[in-house]
Amino acid sequence: MLNKLLFRNQDKKQLVIAIIGSFLGITFLITSIHYLIKVNEFGEGADILGPNTIIVQKEVSNSSTLNLTKTDFSQAEIDKLKKEPYILDVKPVISNNFDVSFETADPLVPRFRSDVFIQTVDPEFLDVKSAKWNWKEGDTIVPIILPRDFLVMLNTFMSASGIPQVSDDLAMDIRFKFTLSNETSKEWVNAKIIGFTNEVASILVPEDFMAYGNAKYGIAADRKITQIMISGRESEFGLVEEMLKTKHLESKNSQLVVGRLKSMVGTLILVVLGISVIAVFVSGLVLIQYAQLLMSRNAYEVRTLLRIGYAPKVLIRSFFIYFLKIFGWVSLLGFGMFFVFKIWLDAMFEEGGLYIGTSITWPSVLALFLAYSLFGIASFFNAKRGIYKQF
Amino acid sequence: MPVPLASIQHAPDSIWGREIVLEPGKKIMLNASSGKGKSTFTNVIFGLRKDFQGKLYYNQQDTATFTPEEWIEIRQSKISVVFQDLQLFPELSVKDNLHLKNDLKHVYTDQELRHFLAQLEIENKWEQPCGLLSMGQQQRVAIIRALCQPFEWLILDEPFSHLDVENSQRSLQLIDQRCNELNAGFVLTTLGENHDFTYDQELKL
Repeated sequence: MLNKLLFRNQDKKQLVIAIIGSFLGITFLITSIHYLIKVNEFGEGADILGPNTIIVQKEVSNSSTLNLTKTDFSQAEIDKLKKEPYILDVKPVISNNFDVSFETADPLVPRFRSDVFIQTVDPEFLDVKSAKWNWKEGDTIVPIILPRDFLVMLNTFMSASGIPQVSDDLAMDIRFKFTLSNETSKEWVNAKIIGFTNEVASILVPEDFMAYGNAKYGIAADRKITQIMISGRESEFGLVEEMLKTKHLESKNSQLVVGRLKSMVGTLILVVLGISVIAVFVSGLVLIQYAQLLMSRNAYEVRTLLRIGYAPKVLIRSFFIYFLKIFGWVSLLGFGMFFVFKIWLDAMFEEGGLYIGTSITWPSVLALFLAYSLFGIASFFNAKRGIYKQF
Repeated sequence: MPVPLASIQHAPDSIWGREIVLEPGKKIMLNASSGKGKSTFTNVIFGLRKDFQGKLYYNQQDTATFTPEEWIEIRQSKISVVFQDLQLFPELSVKDNLHLKNDLKHVYTDQELRHFLAQLEIENKWEQPCGLLSMGQQQRVAIIRALCQPFEWLILDEPFSHLDVENSQRSLQLIDQRCNELNAGFVLTTLGENHDFTYDQELKL
């Protein structure tokens, strides 16, 4: 009865416009947040290096070959790079300063031995749990991250030896060993693969192992830093690339392509997200304004109900629940439309060769919940103000 | 004294500008000509107007200190009003208008409500929108609506202005009967007509 009295005097055209605006805003809000997360997740887990991370060296020219220009990084250069706003961190890549060879040490696998080049990077740049990425003097096994090209080479060798090739998982179960040596002494240390990388050409080992090897078997007193690791900010990879060009630095192209692609798509989605937030905000405001209009159109009814003994909270609840229901339906419809969009977009991405995860991202659901809660709070205070004005 | 009436010269026996106590259970006639503040009196008593000088106490409590919730409690169970402009909902039926009030305290059944309407000879209007009724019929609906709650005081602002003598007396009889049931009093504002009723007190503005 109360609703019949309070909501019969409406201009439905304005309500429909506000509902359509909210519906579109909510749909694009959820969709853009979902795909922003999915694009940023793209490529994660495929490499053990952290996201937005590249290994950089100075361009090698004829003059550097002739020792006329330097190819190593000084500490001052590293510190200067760190200060750039689009760079999160810069750390040197430390290389071995001693002779190392790497060989299989498993009775099930034929002997394979090669002199190798090992490097270490700050664990913060690696997408690996710190407990696994650990070595201290006395430990019998050193964890390693193997370049995927090395595994391809190993498999070629396996194939030539007439034994089946090994997958990533199987390779992690094969026992290997390092031989560390210098002119006077030699030592063997077992190694276990804990991950693979497409981005680094050398075998990665923990920092402590490298420090141990360099200290015990190091040949030269001071080794130059010829490679550094740079971690760029999300969506600002274009600036990192620009900086590389300006400073005559170079990196593996694939790293840059993925970073550039993610930055570009991420920026586009951010723009859509911004527009969606504005759309939700504006349509929410229109709904709130519509509620105010409804209350002023029904001012006589509200005032009279208060006069015959209806408590303000009863009338506030009526208006609050009415608009909460409207926004609830809008949110549900928006979420439903997001699913339709998702099926369509996921299929489109897949056809284009971009295999992004199809699971629902919780932040997009959370954004919907947040928008609904904010609207609810605004709606409540709006109703409260409107009702008490008539008291 | 209401602020808008402060500039008017009032009679020596006018309640404006002096202390007056409304004794519980008394049936009071408030007699005044047009423009002397009968509706203002009703609105002040009911907490709708606060533009007055002086103090208004209800059960020894200054009404200026009442919160909206306290006023609502008073409007639900202590004071009921028949407004001069009736304040019905013209699009709603007589039934819905009465239900809106009765649903707050569930005082009467539909049968009892229809009985009241029958007493005032408008039972056949039960389903009709109030806007389609004559002013006299609407006044009778407003009177019945005011009775659909417990109260200590019933304030009637020229409630019979559109009623004939017979219907005025029937209505007043119904009001008197309900007040007696509740040991409540009433204040009836009038332009001078006493409707052949013996009041406990007569006040002037």
